[in-house]
Amino acid sequence: MNKPKIVCFSCKFSWGYLADESKLAAEISNWIPIICAGKIDAEYLVDAFLHGADGVLILGCPEGDCHYQDGTIETKKRLALLRQALAVYNIEPERIRLVLARDPEGKDIPGHIEEMAKAIGRLGKIKTAKA
Amino acid sequence: MWKTSEIGHSQVEPATKQLLPPCQIKCPINEDIQRTNVLISLLPDTIEAARDGIIQIGEYLYERNPFFNICGYICGLCELECNYKNEGGAIRRRLLKRFLSDTYTPYLNEKPEVNIVKDRENVAVIGGGPSGLMAAFNLTRQGYRVTIFEASQRLGGALWLVPEYRLPRKVLQTTVENLVRIMGIDVRYNTKFGEGRTTVNRLISDGFKAVFIAKGTPNARQLTFGKDVVEGQDLSGVMYGLDFLYEVSHGNIPPDYFKNKKIIVIGAGNVAFDSARTARRLGGEVSIVCLEREDKEHRDGIPADEDEIRGAWEEGIKIYASRGVRKISGKNDEFEGITCPLCTQVYCDTGFNPEFDTNDEINLTGDVVIVTIGQAPDLELLKKENLLDHRGRLAVDPHTLQSQINPSVFIGGDVRRVGFMIEAMEEGIKAAESINKYLNDEDLKVASKDYEAFGLPERPYYKIATEVLWIPPEQRLHFQMFEKGLTLKEAITEAKRCATCGPCVSCKACISIGFEKSLYAVQVDKERCSGCGACVYACNYESARLVMKDGRLISDTDMFRCKSCGMCVAACASNARKMVDDQTAEKIKKAYAELK
Repeated sequence: MNKPKIVCFSCKFSWGYLADESKLAAEISNWIPIICAGKIDAEYLVDAFLHGADGVLILGCPEGDCHYQDGTIETKKRLALLRQALAVYNIEPERIRLVLARDPEGKDIPGHIEEMAKAIGRLGKIKTAKA
Repeated sequence: MWKTSEIGHSQVEPATKQLLPPCQIKCPINEDIQRTNVLISLLPDTIEAARDGIIQIGEYLYERNPFFNICGYICGLCELECNYKNEGGAIRRRLLKRFLSDTYTPYLNEKPEVNIVKDRENVAVIGGGPSGLMAAFNLTRQGYRVTIFEASQRLGGALWLVPEYRLPRKVLQTTVENLVRIMGIDVRYNTKFGEGRTTVNRLISDGFKAVFIAKGTPNARQLTFGKDVVEGQDLSGVMYGLDFLYEVSHGNIPPDYFKNKKIIVIGAGNVAFDSARTARRLGGEVSIVCLEREDKEHRDGIPADEDEIRGAWEEGIKIYASRGVRKISGKNDEFEGITCPLCTQVYCDTGFNPEFDTNDEINLTGDVVIVTIGQAPDLELLKKENLLDHRGRLAVDPHTLQSQINPSVFIGGDVRRVGFMIEAMEEGIKAAESINKYLNDEDLKVASKDYEAFGLPERPYYKIATEVLWIPPEQRLHFQMFEKGLTLKEAITEAKRCATCGPCVSCKACISIGFEKSLYAVQVDKERCSGCGACVYACNYESARLVMKDGRLISDTDMFRCKSCGMCVAACASNARKMVDDQTAEKIKKAYAELK
């Protein structure tokens, strides 16, 4: 398959806040900085697949660091349910990945995307028709 | 490096009721504590890269509190009310400010003078301590021409009495000297209030339209027993804590001055402990005698800070608690010892009312006794300046600080009521406000502030406070700082602990650094809302709530508590919640349309 399309959400409080955002955005395709991982609606995730994404990477804050107390926990709960729902449509759970760490310069973001792209590449294209 | 911009500048507006984090309420000048914690937590990881950011944070703080770096050494009142107190320890706000001070204080020397057109009235400020300087700072910013009349040859007032092992001289000196330079404030040194042309009447006839008296209370209170002054206070070897600390801070007392001497300190306040620990550092064998009980929680407990008591205890200072002093004895005009009856009660319901059991007395001998039981106002001077009422008390409105005798005179700081540095500063701010109103013919009445504190938001994890390191007692009997400051890494970790309990309007750090455009209001579409309560469950700030409307439950948002985090929006299964003006959904849509 062609290079998998990965949408990457990253929490602004832990990722890339020291970098020049526009410069980093030019380097990273499909990168969406967001104020809190907990703000990522399940709908946004489903929409990503509907628009042809092969995987979604969510970069959140380390456990216990969330500026809004438990955004990472909310995300985890949401992902657990969503992965089950997506499985019904043959969308593998690995297609959504959550990484909790801190990277103020954002220099690790391309690496995380690359790594995920490799894993998704092994899965191939999503085997479900567009809804 | 992030850059902050002016748009997100926070402020506390006096409102009828305002929700704030408890630390900010506790701070007498309502410093933006949460805001700076957030900004510190987002600093780069190396001190070189972080420098600009630290100075930027310092500039924010300086605007409201030009002494924030000094607070970083000796205040920390805010920590007493931190919600985190019972969950691993209060956020070490004081040390965080001390951390900022490490970079910011040297920067003060190069900080440019502010460009203010000073075309308003002349105002005289008597006393260059925290209260007077704070008033001068605030008045100057409003365009008044301020002259400070300082009795000594240096600014800083009672701050100079704080021993150097708690507040380095350099920090104090750099701060006060630069403050008057940066603001362009005129200072007349060696000018005593009540002498020469520095009397209220002459200042007014010299063209000063208002006078703020913040001369402090530098006179020591004499030792009394019952209603009588204890005799023997004129013996050689009897001194007063304030004078002692003053002489030490002026470098008039050589090291080892008290070597092989037994020193007795009388008193239990911070000044007493400062005197005792200073005497210990001069080589003395030191004991403290005080009326108060050792149990700090008790009504009659020792009033000094816990750190002071612990420090003294560690440094080998013996504390004779619950003891009064009935008699000072001497031989050949030399101090010899004191007689100390058991103190059975310090306070009763109406106030200070000590009682003693003279059947239970101990005698303590020593070479020097340092009396440190408080300060006494210079009533004669205040009377001469016509500042007292017929009962001999300062005639001053405690809210406006205006003299009740002479409307162009304002009185504040230690001279009105002895207190913490930050309380004196608060009075300086108040006085500046009142003077401004007075000179503009406005009503001086102050709107009462009514604050409500936020509780601790529920967190899945609470973290333990960064450890405060003290040099071991046997190695710290000198005048260098004994407490270690935070490293950048520790400061970031500690600042990140802050649970940011306060509402966003009092912080806006995220806007200043460009994370958000504004604080979005959350709207609920009543038609879509099913009243399920998922949003209430998702909200960590008790902002999303269910209310009865038209006979059914629907959700609602308390905007004072809302942090615009969007978790309720994400949790809502029926798309009933949305954030006004929030561009996130559009941004995502755009990104998806261009998916590569």
